[in-house]
Amino acid sequence: MTSMPRFRLHRPTSTADALAALADAPGSRPLAGGTALLVNIRYGLEAPPALVDLSAIPGLDGITVDEDTGALVLGASVTLARLAADPLVLDGWPVLARAAACVAGPTHREAATVAGNLCQDTRCVFVNQSEWWRAANGFCMKAGGETCHVVPKSDRCHAAYAGDLAPALLVLGASVEVLDGHGSRRHPLLDLFRADGRAHLALAPGALVTAVIVPPMHGAVAGYAKVRVRESIDFPLAGVAGLVRRDGDRMADVRIALTGVASAPVPVPGLDGLIGQPWAELAAANVSEAVGKVCIPLRTTAASPRYRRAVAMGSAVRLLGDLWSEAGSEESPV
Amino acid sequence: MTVLPPKGGIGVPTPLVDGIEKVTGRARYTADLRPADALAGAILRSPVSHGILRGVDTTAAEALPGVLAVVTGADCAVPFGVLPIARNEYPLARDRVRYRGEPIAAVAAVDDRTAAQALALIRADIAPLPAVFESAKARGPKAPLLHDDKPGNIEREVHQSFGDVEAGFAAAALVREGTFTFAEVNHVHLEPNATLAEYDPERDRLTLHTTTQVPYYVHLTVAQCLEVDTARIRVVKPFLGGGFGARTEALGFEVIAALLARKAGGTVFLPLSREDTFLTHRGRPQADITLKLGLTADGRLTACAATCVQRGGAYAGYGIITILYAGALLHGLYDIPAVTYDGWRVYTNLPPCGAMRGHGTVDMRAAFEALLDEMAADLGLDPFAVRRVNLLTAPATTLMGQKVLSNGLAECLDWVERASGWHKRRGSLPPGRGLGMACSHYVSGTSKPKHWTGEPHAVINLKLDFDGAITILTGASDIGQGSSTVVAQVVGEVLGCDPGRLRVISSDSAVTPKDNGSYSSRVTFMVGNATIQAAESLKAILVEAAARRLDAAPDQIECLGETFRVAGIQDTGLSFGDVVREALIDTGTITVKGTFTCPVEFQGDKAIRGSAIGASMGFSYAAQVAECSVDPVTGRVTVHKLWVAADVGRAINPLAVEGQIQGAAWMGVGQALSEETNWRDGRGIATNLLDYRVPTTADSPEIEVHIVESLDPNGPFGAKEASEGPLAGSIAAIMNAVHDATGVRARALPLSPERVFELFAPNGA
Repeated sequence: MTSMPRFRLHRPTSTADALAALADAPGSRPLAGGTALLVNIRYGLEAPPALVDLSAIPGLDGITVDEDTGALVLGASVTLARLAADPLVLDGWPVLARAAACVAGPTHREAATVAGNLCQDTRCVFVNQSEWWRAANGFCMKAGGETCHVVPKSDRCHAAYAGDLAPALLVLGASVEVLDGHGSRRHPLLDLFRADGRAHLALAPGALVTAVIVPPMHGAVAGYAKVRVRESIDFPLAGVAGLVRRDGDRMADVRIALTGVASAPVPVPGLDGLIGQPWAELAAANVSEAVGKVCIPLRTTAASPRYRRAVAMGSAVRLLGDLWSEAGSEESPV
Repeated sequence: MTVLPPKGGIGVPTPLVDGIEKVTGRARYTADLRPADALAGAILRSPVSHGILRGVDTTAAEALPGVLAVVTGADCAVPFGVLPIARNEYPLARDRVRYRGEPIAAVAAVDDRTAAQALALIRADIAPLPAVFESAKARGPKAPLLHDDKPGNIEREVHQSFGDVEAGFAAAALVREGTFTFAEVNHVHLEPNATLAEYDPERDRLTLHTTTQVPYYVHLTVAQCLEVDTARIRVVKPFLGGGFGARTEALGFEVIAALLARKAGGTVFLPLSREDTFLTHRGRPQADITLKLGLTADGRLTACAATCVQRGGAYAGYGIITILYAGALLHGLYDIPAVTYDGWRVYTNLPPCGAMRGHGTVDMRAAFEALLDEMAADLGLDPFAVRRVNLLTAPATTLMGQKVLSNGLAECLDWVERASGWHKRRGSLPPGRGLGMACSHYVSGTSKPKHWTGEPHAVINLKLDFDGAITILTGASDIGQGSSTVVAQVVGEVLGCDPGRLRVISSDSAVTPKDNGSYSSRVTFMVGNATIQAAESLKAILVEAAARRLDAAPDQIECLGETFRVAGIQDTGLSFGDVVREALIDTGTITVKGTFTCPVEFQGDKAIRGSAIGASMGFSYAAQVAECSVDPVTGRVTVHKLWVAADVGRAINPLAVEGQIQGAAWMGVGQALSEETNWRDGRGIATNLLDYRVPTTADSPEIEVHIVESLDPNGPFGAKEASEGPLAGSIAAIMNAVHDATGVRARALPLSPERVFELFAPNGA
C-alpha cells in the first residue's frame, strides 16, 4: 500500500456546498469514515481529484423516529458504532444494530457510516490488491484493464457487493433519500443498486445519499447471519438477512436478502408460498431452494463459490427457524 | 539473618524493562528513525514467476530528476544465504527470476512519489519460463529446473534410520499410516520490514538500523555483498515489532538498502509494505507428511516411520535445517525404539520459506499427535494414558544422540488433565463440542552455530563506573520476547543489588559484544548462562574490594543485598557505593565479561549424520488440552479454551514466560484454524491482513497457563526455553478436539470453515 496521491480536500458545512464541490471536479468522491475509500485510493484503485468530507455538515447524523409514520430515520453520517448501540434502534430495529456490529472491527465502526457502508465499492480477489499485483496480473475490467478475471468472457465486472447493512435494510423495506442538483428524492433501497461490479450504484455523479428511512417492524422479527472465517474484520463470504412475521402457527410474511454473493445485494424471491404455512421441514426446503436459485457467487474471494452458496442456503434455513421461534416466544405473552 | 524480599531477581513476575516505552508509544522502531532528509527507497519486483532476465533498462529512471541511485543485479554479484553451504539468492535478481515478487531493481529518490515514478520507468526484459508451484509437480520428470545444479528441484534429501523399524511394526498390535497436509503460514510480525541505511562517503562507512533478529548475520551479509570490510559497518537493531523467525537471516532488502545508500552517497530509508513483507516471506513451508506408527495393545510405541516433503520456495534460505528439524524432533518427546525419517526439501517458484516458531518441527509433531490420538481411540485407550506409557525418563540419550537431562512432561500432563476436567467432561459435552489433547517439545538453543568461528556461543559485558550504575551490554536481540529483562534479572539476582542500578544496552555492533541472535530459543539459555558468569566475575571484584577495605579475606565477606560485611561480626558493613569506590581505586571503570560455550557432547553425535540439528542442551516440554465447538451449518471451528502446561525448567520471569506460552499456543490456533498464504499460480492471493486470516482478538480463546519447573542442570538457574515448544501441541489438540466434537478426522490444515464443511459433506453430498 502506497501513500495517498495528491487530492483536494473540501470540508463543506452544507449539503449545497458539498454538491457544488462534487460537481466542481468530475470524479470527486464524498468522504465519510473513509474506511473503504481511503484503502482503495492507497491501493491505486481510484484517484479522485477531490474528496468532499461530509463530517462538518450539520444534521446528517441524526437517529430519529418519525412521529407520524413510526419510521426510523438514519442520517447518512451515523456511525456504525452508534447504530449498533443506539437504544431506539436496539428497541425497534435490533437487526440493524446486529448487522452494524458485524461490520469489520471496533475501530472501523467508530469511523464508518451508514451511507458509507451502503455505498461501499464492490470487492474482488483480483481487484483489492496493490497496483503492482494488478499490473502483474494484466489489470482487470474494474481498474485499468479490459477483462474480468472472474468470468473472462464476461462483458461486465463481477466484483461482489459486501455491505452488511443493505440486506438487513432490504428485508425491512427501507428506502433512501438521495440529494442531487435537482433536489431530494426518496427511492426504495433496492433501486440504489445495480448488478455491475464496476458501477454498482444507480446514483448520478455527484449525488449524495443523505438518509435511510426504515418502516416500523409491526411485530415482525428479523435477523442477520454473516458467514465469515473470523469473528471480526472479515467481509462476508455470504450474508443472509431474514424477516418473519408470525400469525399464530402460520407465517404471515417472510423475506430474505443476501449480500456478498453478487455485484448488488440480492432480494430472494419465491417465498410467497410460505405465507400461511407453519415453519416445518417443507418450509425449510423451500427456503433453501429459493436461496439457492438466486445465490450464484463467483470466484471473487479465496473461499470457493460452492461453499459460499451452500452455506448461504444453510444459514438462511437456520436463521428463519430461529426467527420463527423468536416470533413465537414474543407472541406468546400476548 | 535478614531475609531480603526479592527485588527483580529471578522467579519474580517482572514487567519488561522496555515495556514503558512500548505502552506509552515512546519506543522508536526502525520506521520512526527516518530522518527528514533521508532518501526514499523503493523496490521493483518481478511480475512473473519464472523467467530469464535478459536485461534491465534503467536509463529513463536514472534520468528522472530527483533520482539519486538505481541499483540492479549488476550492482551485487555476491549471493547470500544464511547457510554458508547454500547461498544461491541475490539481493537483486541476476540472469533469472524465480518467483513473482522477486526484487529486480531498486531506486533511491528525494521522495516516495519520485521513487514510485522511477520504478515505473524501469524496463525489465524477461523471457518467461514454465513455472512450478507444487512440490509434487516440481519433483516430476518434466518439471523446469529452478537451479541448474539441483536435479529434480531437490534442495536436500534426508534419510535417517534408527533401530529396527520393521521389527517394531511386526511387534505392534496396531499399525496405522496417515497422510497429512499443512498449508504454508507466515509469521505476521506486526511491524513490517524496514531498513535505514546511512552511508558516509567521506569515511566510507555504513550504519544500518534494521528490523532483524540477527544483527550479526546482517552485518556479515552486508559486508560480503557490498565487498567491504566488516569494520566499516555498524548494525543497530532498534525496538522490534516481533520476529517469530521471519528475521533470523539477513534478508535481501537489507542489502538493497545498503547498496542504495552507498550508490546515492547518503541516507536511504527503505520501508516494506505488508505485501512486500509477505513476498519476502520466510514462513513455515507447506508440508506433505506421511506418518506410520506402531502401538502395542497397551499403547507403547514400537516404531515410527515418517516422511516429509516441504515446498521450500525459490531459494535455499534455512531450507536444509528446516527439513532436518522435521525428522530430528521425532526424537526427544517419547521413548520410541525405532525411527526412520525421509525428507525432501523442494524448490518451487514461490517466495522462499524460512524459519518460523518451532522451526521445522511443528507440522510433523501435529501430525504425530493427531495420528496417536486416532490410534489410541482404536485401541480403546485414553489419550493421556498413551502419552504416559511412552514418556522419556531423564536423563536419557535419544536414538539421534540428543541428551535429555530434565523432563517435566508428566507433571504437565497431570495439570492439563485436571484443570480441563478431562475425565469428567470428555464425552459429556453438548453435541458439536469436544476436548482434545496433545504434547510437544522444543530445543533450548541449537548447540552448533551455523557459522563456525570457534568463538563462544554467547558473550556479555558488564560495565561498572563511578556512579555505581551497572551497564549490561548485550548483543542479544530483544524482539519483544523479553531478553533484555532476563539479563537484567540475572545480574540483579547474582549481585543482589537494587534493580535501579541496572541498565541494558543491546544490539549495537559499535557498543555491544557480538551475539548470534534471537533464534532457536537460544537466548535465555546461552546468554543467560554468560550473564551469570559475568555477574559472578563482577561480584568477585566487589567482594575483594570489600575485603580489602574491611581488612578481611574475601571468603569472609557476605553480601546482604547492597550491604557488604564481614560474616559473623556485628558491624554495619559497607554500602554498595563504598564498595564501588574502593573497587575503582587504581583501576577506574571496571568492565567484566561472561561467556558461554555449549560443550561438544551436546552438539550432536559425530557418528550420526545431521545430528547437529536438533542437538541442544535442554528440551522444553508442553501438554495442551483444547475445548472446541464446530458450527454444523458453516463448518466454523471455535476454540473456547486452551489449557497449556509447559516445563520451562525454571521461569526466570514468570510474567514473560506466561505471555510467551500463550503466544505460542495462540499462534497454533491461527495455523490450526485459518492461516494460509494461498499462492494461486504464483500470485499471492492473501498478501494482506484481510485475506491472510490471522486470528483477531475476537477469535482468541482464553489460554490458561501452568508453569512446570524441572530445573535443568544446564540451564541458567535451571531455565529452558518457553516460547516455541507449546505451539505444535495446540494445533494437534485442536485437531483432536474437532474429532471429539464431530467424529471427523482432519488430515489437512487449516481447519477453515470451508475445509470442515467439506469433511461433513464431501463433494457436496
